[in-house]
Amino acid sequence: MSGFDNPFDPDHILKRGGCSCGQHASQVAHEQAVLADEEARIGRVVESTVMRALFPEDTARRNFLRAVGVSTAMAAVSSFFPLAAAKALAAERAPLEKTDLKIGFIPITCATPIIMAGPMGFYAREGLNVSLLKTAGWAVVRDKVMNKEYDASHMLSPMPLAISLGLGSQAQPVNVAAIENINGQAITLALKHKDKLDPKSWKGFKFGLPFDYSIHNLLLRYYLAEHGLDPDKDVELRIMPPPDMVANLRAGNIDGFLGPEPFNQRAVYEEVGFIHTLSRDIWDGHPCCAFGVSESFAKANPNTFAALFRAIASATEYAHKPENRADIIKAIAPANYLNQPIPVLEQVMTGRFADGLGKVRNVPDRVDFDAFPWPSMAVWMLTQLKRWGYLKGEVNYKQIAETVFLATDARKRMKEMGLKPPASDYAKYTIMGKVFDPAKPDQYLKSFKISRA
Amino acid sequence: MQANFLKVEGLSRVYPSVRGQAPLTVFDNVHFSIDQGEFVCIIGHSGCGKSTILNVLAGLDEPSAGLVFMDGREVSGPSLDRGVVFQGHTLMPWLSVMKNIAFAVKSRWPDWSRIKVSAHCQQFIDLVGLTGSEHKKPSELSGGMKQRVGIARAFAIQPKMLLLDEPFGALDALTRGVIQDELLKICAATAQTVFMITHDVDEAILLSDKIILMTNGPRARIAEIVRNTLPRDRSRSDIHKDPQYYRIRNHLVDFLVSRSRRMADVSAGEYDPRHPPEITLGLVEVVATEAVATIKQPALHLV
Amino acid sequence: MRPSLNLRAALVSLLLLGVLLLGWYVATLPQASKAVNVDPEYAALMGGGAVKKSGMPTPAEVGHTLIDKLAHPFYDHGPNDKGIGIQLAYSLARVLGGFALAALVAIPLGFVVGMSPIMQRALNPYIQLLKPISPLAWMPLALYTIKDSSASAIFVIFICSLWPMLINTAYGVAAVKRDWLNVAKTLEVSPLRKAFQVILPAAAPTILTGMRISMGIAWLVIVAAEMLVGGTGIGYFVWNEWNNLSLTNVIFAILMIGVVGMLLDALFAWMLRLVAYNE
Repeated sequence: MSGFDNPFDPDHILKRGGCSCGQHASQVAHEQAVLADEEARIGRVVESTVMRALFPEDTARRNFLRAVGVSTAMAAVSSFFPLAAAKALAAERAPLEKTDLKIGFIPITCATPIIMAGPMGFYAREGLNVSLLKTAGWAVVRDKVMNKEYDASHMLSPMPLAISLGLGSQAQPVNVAAIENINGQAITLALKHKDKLDPKSWKGFKFGLPFDYSIHNLLLRYYLAEHGLDPDKDVELRIMPPPDMVANLRAGNIDGFLGPEPFNQRAVYEEVGFIHTLSRDIWDGHPCCAFGVSESFAKANPNTFAALFRAIASATEYAHKPENRADIIKAIAPANYLNQPIPVLEQVMTGRFADGLGKVRNVPDRVDFDAFPWPSMAVWMLTQLKRWGYLKGEVNYKQIAETVFLATDARKRMKEMGLKPPASDYAKYTIMGKVFDPAKPDQYLKSFKISRA
Repeated sequence: MQANFLKVEGLSRVYPSVRGQAPLTVFDNVHFSIDQGEFVCIIGHSGCGKSTILNVLAGLDEPSAGLVFMDGREVSGPSLDRGVVFQGHTLMPWLSVMKNIAFAVKSRWPDWSRIKVSAHCQQFIDLVGLTGSEHKKPSELSGGMKQRVGIARAFAIQPKMLLLDEPFGALDALTRGVIQDELLKICAATAQTVFMITHDVDEAILLSDKIILMTNGPRARIAEIVRNTLPRDRSRSDIHKDPQYYRIRNHLVDFLVSRSRRMADVSAGEYDPRHPPEITLGLVEVVATEAVATIKQPALHLV
Repeated sequence: MRPSLNLRAALVSLLLLGVLLLGWYVATLPQASKAVNVDPEYAALMGGGAVKKSGMPTPAEVGHTLIDKLAHPFYDHGPNDKGIGIQLAYSLARVLGGFALAALVAIPLGFVVGMSPIMQRALNPYIQLLKPISPLAWMPLALYTIKDSSASAIFVIFICSLWPMLINTAYGVAAVKRDWLNVAKTLEVSPLRKAFQVILPAAAPTILTGMRISMGIAWLVIVAAEMLVGGTGIGYFVWNEWNNLSLTNVIFAILMIGVVGMLLDALFAWMLRLVAYNE
C-alpha cells in the first residue's frame, strides 16, 4: 500500500515530532498517558464525593476507614452505592458499547474524512476498530444502513431526510451526525458542447445524476431553473453511478452530468468532457455528503457514537487544512479506498486543475470539509424536495431539520474537542444571487417561477 | 411334488369406463392350477389378458375379482418367492452383469457377505453361459445375452416359481433356439415351477407340460388346457420326429387361427369355467379335418 | 498422412486467437498525438500524454495485468482490495453455498414431484410461474426480508439454481423405466433402497444435467449479484475496476470469469460421464 505515515508505529516519529508536552515519543503516546491519568483522576473524584456524602464529618470517615481497612470500606460502600457505574457516568471518555464497527462509503472524494480516518488512525485514536466497506451504490448504502449491516455510513446529505420521512423507502429514523464535505461537485459537459456554455442552449440535454435524494439533483434542478429551463420538461435527468457518467459521456448517451469528484476531473483527464461550472459557483459552501447514523444505533451506543463523532469531526477538521491534503491523497487513493489515479485526485484536492478546455484553473476551495450539520441547510433541502414534488403536503421544516440534523450534539462535542462550531443553528445563504432565509421557507418556496409545489 | 402348488380361482379383470364408454372386461372367471415342478405355457391372441394374468401372479397388478394361492398362501403383492423375467431385458444399464444379478441376490439374502453374493452370482452366470462377461455393462451385450442375464437374475433368487413374460419374443430365431435349449436344461436340473407366456406354438410344445389356451378378448376365458404328452427329455433337433408333435401342434395352430375366435362366442351354458376342458390328444389318434388342412403350414408365429 | 482431427482443430483455434489478437492490437495502436501548442502545466495535468488513459487497452497491457494479478492472487490489502484468487474464492463460496442449498431442496422435492402425479400437477403452476423470473428480480425482496446482503446473494443463487435442478430431477424420476421399478418391486426392495439404487442412478444423468445448467446460471448470476451488493467477490472486483474506469482490469476479470465458468462446466461434464449409461 502507499507509504503514508503510520501514526501508530511506535518506532516511528511523526514529522511533526514528539508530543505536545514533549515527554512522550508521539502525540498518541501522550494522549494515552493523559487518558490514563484522566481516568484515575475521575475515579478519585467520584470516590471522594461518595465518601463525603456518607460521612459529612471527616473524622468519622477517617475512623471508619481505620477501623475496617480501605478495601473493606470500598467493598462496603460499593455494595450499596454503585461506584463503578458512578465513575463510568462521570468519565468523559466512558467505556465504548461497541468497538468493532462497519462503516460504508461510496468511493468519491466526498467521503474523504470517513475514509482517511481509517488509514490515518482517527478511529483507532478513539478506540474504535472500523471496517471501511466500499459500497456499490446509494440505494445499497440506504438498504445496508436500514438493515443494520452498517453501523454508520457515508450518505448524500438529503438521504437521511428522505429515509426518515420514508421517501423512496420505508421510514426509519436516520440522523446526520456530521456533514462531510462542502463544495467539491461540478457540472461537466461533453467536449462536443464546448460552444454551448450558456445553459439556455441546453434544451433537450440529457444529464447524469447520482441519486434522486442528492444535493446534485437539487443543485442541478435549481441551476437549470434559474436559467429558465424546466428540469422535468426541458431536459432529461438520469440516475446513474458516477463511473457510468464518464462512460456515458464518452459514448454520447448523456450530454453532461452534475457529479461528485473525482469523476468530473476524471472526465477531463479521459479527454471526454470539460468542467462547466463548479458547484461552489452555484452555492459556495453548500453541503454535499453526510455522516449518517441510524437513530437506533446512536441511542443504543451513545459512547461509541460520541467517539465516532469525535473521529469524524477531527478528520474533517484535518482535511479542511490545505497543507494536509497531500498526505490525505496518499491515504485514500489506493485500490482499497477510492482506487483512482493520484494526478486526478491531486487536481481535485488542491484546486489547481485542468478544466478540459485547455485552461489551468486555480480554485483552492474547490473542495472543502466542514463537519457542522446546519439545520438551515436541511431546511433548504426540504424546500427543494418540496419544490420538485418529492415531498408533498405540509412540511414542518424546522422540526424535521432539527430532528435529523444533530446540530446540538455536534456543537457540544465540537466545543469539548476544542473546535469552534458556529453559535447559531441557522444561517442565510445566497445561492446564485438569491437569498435563502431559513426562517421563511414557505415564502422562499413561493418565490420560484418553476416549481411543482 | 405338490399338486395344485399354484391355484388361480375366479380371476377377472375389468378396466373401469373411460369417458362414458362401457367398462372393459379383459378376462372373466379364470380358473387353473399348476403343480410343483410343472412348466405351463399360456397361449392366446393379444388382448386376451395373458400379461395381466402374469402380472397378477407376480403381484404387480390386482385382479378385479378372484384369488391366487401359492403354496397355500394368498398372493397379494410382489414377492421374492416368484421370480419374473420380463418381455424386455429390464436390466439396469448402469450396473454390470454381475451387479445386476447381485442386486437381486442381495434383495433375497441381505445378510450375505459380498464374497458369498458374488460366488452365488457367478454360479448362475456360468449356468446361462455368460462366463467371462461378468463385468460387461448391458449395453455391451447382444439381445440374447441380455435375456440370459435376465433369466440368471430370476433363477439366482431361487424362487418357488418363475414367471416368464414372452422372454424370447424380441430375439432372432437362432438365438431363441439356443436359449430355449438352455432353459429346458436348467428347468430339468432345478425342477423349477414355471408359468410362461408365449406366442410361439413350437416353443410351447418344446418347453411345457401343460398349455393353457385363451379365447380372444374381451371377456377372454380359458378355452381348454392341452396336456403335452411328449416325453420330458425333449430336444429341439428331434422333437418333430415324434408323431404326437404334429397332432399337438396342429391342434394349437388350429385353435389360434380359427377356434380362439369362435369359442369366444360360445355361451356360458355348456362351459364350466372351474373345469375348463382338458385335452390329452397326443396319445389318441384324432383326425380333425381342420388340423389336416394346416399340416403343411410351416411353423407359425403369431406376434 | 493427414494430421489428426484434434491437431488440425487446435491449429485453427490458434490461428483464430492470432487473428483476434492482431485485430485487437491494430485497433488499439496509439494514435499520433495532435501537435498543438498547449500550456505545459495543462499538458502535465492531463497526464502529459505519457500516461495511458482508460479507453480500450492493448493486448500487451492486458497481458501485463494478467501476469501481475496472477503472480499475487491472494494478497489482502483491506476489505475493499483483495487478490483475484480471494475474490474468486468468495464468489465460488457463495455459488457453492446457494447451489448446495438449492440441491438439498430441489433433488428431494424433485423426487416427490417425479414420483407423485398429484404433486406434479399441484406444484406445476408454481414452478411454471416462478421459473421465468429473473433471479436478480428477487434481490430487493431478499434484501428486504433477509436483511443481509451476503445472504441475499446466496439466496439469489439458490433461487436461480433451484428450477433447472427441480425440473430435471422431477422429469428424470418420472421417466425412470417402469420395468426397472417392476424389477425392484418383484425383488421386494425397500423404498429407500429403491430410491438410492434404482431411481437415483436411473435419473442421475438427467439430474446432473439439471445441476450443470443450474451451475452455469449460478455463475452468470453471481457476477451480477455481487455487482449489486458489492463487498467481495469477482462481481465486486469488476464493479470496483469499472469504478476506476480500468478496462484492463475489467477485461482481466472477464477472462477469469470465463475460465472459472469453463472449469465448473468441465467438472459437471466429467461427473456426467461418470453416471451416464447406455441402454
